[in-house]
Amino acid sequence: MSLLDDTRALLDRAVAETGDPRLARARGRLDEPLRVAIAGKLKAGKSTLLNALIGEELAPTDAGECTRIVTWYADGPAYAVTSYLTDGNAEARPFTRRDGAVRIDLGRPSFQVERLEVRVPSARLRRHTLIDTPGIESLSADISARTTAFLEAEGEHATQTDAVIYLLRHLHGGDVRFLEAFHGDDGAGTPVNAIGVLSRADEIGGCRLDAMTAAERVAARYATDERLRKLCPVVVPVAGLLGAAGATLRENEFRVLAEVAALPMDDIVEVLLTADRFAAGGEDRRRLVTRLGLFGVRLGTRLIREGDVTDAAGLAAALTEASGIARLREVLRTHLEGRAEVLKARSALAALDDCLPPGSPLAGEAERIRAGAHEFVELRLLHQLRSGRLAVADDRRAGLDRLLGGSGGTAQERLGVPVSDVAQAALAQRTRWQRLAEHPLTGRELKAAARAAVRTCEGILADQNQQG
Amino acid sequence: MSTTAARLAEARQFAVAAGRPDLAERLEKALANRSDPAVAVVGEFKQGKSSLVNALLHTDVCPVDADVVTALPTILRFGRPPAAYLLGEADQREPIEFADLPKHITGTEADPAPRAVEAAIDSRLLGAGLAVVDTPGVGGLDSAQGNLTLATLTMAGAALFVTDAAQELTAPEVEFLRRTRERCPRTWLVLTKIDLHVEWRRIAAINEGHLKRAGLDVPVIPVSSFLRVRARARDDTALNDESGFPRLVELVRREIIDAAEDERTQAAEAELAFVIAQLRDRLDAEEAAADPRHVERYAERARRSAQLVTGTWQTVLGDGIQDLAADVDHDLRERLRLIIIRGEQLLAESDPRNTWQDFQAWAAREASRAAADNLMLLVSRAEQLARDVAERFGLEAHDLSATLPAVGPAVHKARDLELNFQKSTIQQFLGAFTAARVAYGGFFLLGGVGALVGVAWAAPLGLLAGVAFGRRLVKAEKERQVQQRRHQAGQELRRYVDEVGFHVGRDSREAVRRTQRHLRDEFAARARELSRSAASAEAAVREAASLTGEQRRARAATIAEQRDRLERLAG
Repeated sequence: MSLLDDTRALLDRAVAETGDPRLARARGRLDEPLRVAIAGKLKAGKSTLLNALIGEELAPTDAGECTRIVTWYADGPAYAVTSYLTDGNAEARPFTRRDGAVRIDLGRPSFQVERLEVRVPSARLRRHTLIDTPGIESLSADISARTTAFLEAEGEHATQTDAVIYLLRHLHGGDVRFLEAFHGDDGAGTPVNAIGVLSRADEIGGCRLDAMTAAERVAARYATDERLRKLCPVVVPVAGLLGAAGATLRENEFRVLAEVAALPMDDIVEVLLTADRFAAGGEDRRRLVTRLGLFGVRLGTRLIREGDVTDAAGLAAALTEASGIARLREVLRTHLEGRAEVLKARSALAALDDCLPPGSPLAGEAERIRAGAHEFVELRLLHQLRSGRLAVADDRRAGLDRLLGGSGGTAQERLGVPVSDVAQAALAQRTRWQRLAEHPLTGRELKAAARAAVRTCEGILADQNQQG
Repeated sequence: MSTTAARLAEARQFAVAAGRPDLAERLEKALANRSDPAVAVVGEFKQGKSSLVNALLHTDVCPVDADVVTALPTILRFGRPPAAYLLGEADQREPIEFADLPKHITGTEADPAPRAVEAAIDSRLLGAGLAVVDTPGVGGLDSAQGNLTLATLTMAGAALFVTDAAQELTAPEVEFLRRTRERCPRTWLVLTKIDLHVEWRRIAAINEGHLKRAGLDVPVIPVSSFLRVRARARDDTALNDESGFPRLVELVRREIIDAAEDERTQAAEAELAFVIAQLRDRLDAEEAAADPRHVERYAERARRSAQLVTGTWQTVLGDGIQDLAADVDHDLRERLRLIIIRGEQLLAESDPRNTWQDFQAWAAREASRAAADNLMLLVSRAEQLARDVAERFGLEAHDLSATLPAVGPAVHKARDLELNFQKSTIQQFLGAFTAARVAYGGFFLLGGVGALVGVAWAAPLGLLAGVAFGRRLVKAEKERQVQQRRHQAGQELRRYVDEVGFHVGRDSREAVRRTQRHLRDEFAARARELSRSAASAEAAVREAASLTGEQRRARAATIAEQRDRLERLAG
């Protein structure tokens, strides 16, 4: 039986015995997609990134602070908005769509609304539900407080989210504090369910054409930053505006850019010098530079001028590629969705801990699942490894991280080899870790880790035999 | 009316002719007083501070990069040929190769790290009498570096707070801006990167709203450093106008350079007024000599003036300095004590092995904040003390002349003088006194707030392999080790706070001594000058009394002529 099945069975029993509605909710969550929150300081580009990830202009965006209520975007049969109120009630709300963005009529002061849920028919939301949050460090203290209260594992309440995508523009003290709070002190949250995004990457290099290269460099430095590595081990640079625009680019927008690209070179330079100058060319242009950003406009103009793209579809594809959104999707897939089962099981067991007295038979059963499931052992080890609590030589660290599923859960990803070599590589790794586990001078904690690595290799080998 | 400088020079000649080299020297000092106002460029990192400084001064001295680069405060002054220095722990200046400047600004491995780098460059704006300080954004506003930046603001004449047009102000930014305003009333908000963001006008408007709600009266100036650099390269005036810099440059000239010039002029005028009063005193005396009763009064004043050097103002100064030193010291101790208490609470909540890095950053931040706030207290108290001493000195000096007859054209001014007495004498006696500058003798950079050192934590449990621990024993052993680490960390914190206390305490004691010495020397010199004036007036009275009628008439003409000259000088 798989980990998720065990957990389902346990929660079914618990619901039957106690009838606790919180447990019923936790049980329901097990069959829902993974919940991923998008968090960060105000104006970090959270809503824009959400739009880019879904590929639709759903969340309203603006130059000023915009998102003021925690909003869930989940897959559904048709567009619908539900408002969950602080008094526990829920009501369907009417909404309009302007330029695609969902504008919701709250019908009451916003402080009475705990969260909004937007149902969207979208294949992209089938494996995870995305949650847009208001910015931290906002000057409106109550807005910051909403996000903090929503995401932090405070007191006995288990977090409502399974994972978080954290947006940084640059690494500020506030970002670190927030991530620390999300992880909590008790080790319930771990750096295995957080992904860092260096957002608005196009602006980091001054919107010059090499801006994304500069952003790569900054992201690489953050990835080696010891404090940050403990909190979120991957940092992906993403230009959210480009991603969102790439997914929704319209034919007339392409034409506006093509007009500019057809001008003499000297004129192009003048027009693209500042955002103001470009926008001065008419309302169409103003809208375009708002949607693409100056970098997107510059990049698009160059692509068209040099004949690299000839139509809106081509430009959209090029913008999407430049945005880095594909890489983020890939990281999401390997780091979060590949681990969705164990993350969901963990959230469910945490809910169980909240609702049951310690020492009861059900709590004991939860503890047994936690201790027994190899997935949890791997997760715990990854956490220890990444937070530096497990002393491992540097040359072994990266290999162990990968083997434990740090870069994806498939056998190839764990071993870092093509499918054809999996069996051989797994054998070699097993021998290597076995030797380390049996070596008399190996420390106790490392021995445990090595044994877990051996077990992972054996699991891979067993799968291989079944397939073969 | 001629310029202040010309009048100072003429008054100096007058003083020399009148046999008062001491007063001449005072005027020379007032003429030579030239300390350029410093404008500090502060703000969160990656907002374009260094680019702004480069564009403002038409230079490329400050390194600019997509990643965080500025690690040390960079002081830019006027100088030809270009030169560069490292400013060390004890304010010593070590010359370095100008070409190596960027390397030093982006951070050196030198230990101890220098406090700042200074560059002398050829720039018109700097030549007009200005120093610009580019501050590092490393670590953000709410960090040790942020607090050190605040400390330097105490000495700066003005501050430009930089934030970019990518987004509105954040809560930490507004908080930092508030603390900046407390230390430096001349503060402006510069909105950078307006070339990149089409919505910058709205961001500017939103920021103005935030500032208004926070009760901060800070003007917002939108600029684009990129356009300014480009305009310069192509000699394009229209582009320069588009960059928004002309307004900033105008502001810097008018509100910072000219304002500093005005302050210097005011201080010089105060010295001039003091000197003229001394010179006039002798003329008054000669005129008064017609009445023999006055001779005795002048003699009496001369006797009493001799005691002014050791007058009650000395008591005010002595007591004041003692109070000040005790309060500043107590304030520092209290702040450091709170750090230890709070730090131990934090340690008790966690295992130092896991949190040590964050804890180090926390301790450095709190320590630098304590030092910066302590410095602020010292400067404001020193200013208050200087005013108290000046007031007492003024009263005493005024008392001396109370019994003297009012003579000559000064009579009609007497009443106005009386009304303005408090203000004018204090201004006169304080001259160009600036507590921060006196206390630290120049641009002060807070130092001595290093960092907690890394601690070699006790061997982790894993190394005790081979020893057969039962599960319970392992748990107990783990707890014991955490306790031990907490203890170790607590001791390290105390050692660190002790060290900070030692350095900051030493700096502030030195600052108190300097303030005391400066005020004592300043007022003692004035007392001697007053006493000398009184003696000279007494001599003049005696001499005039012995003159014949013929001689007296001839003398009266000279006196009238000299008085005319003095009144002209007085403006």
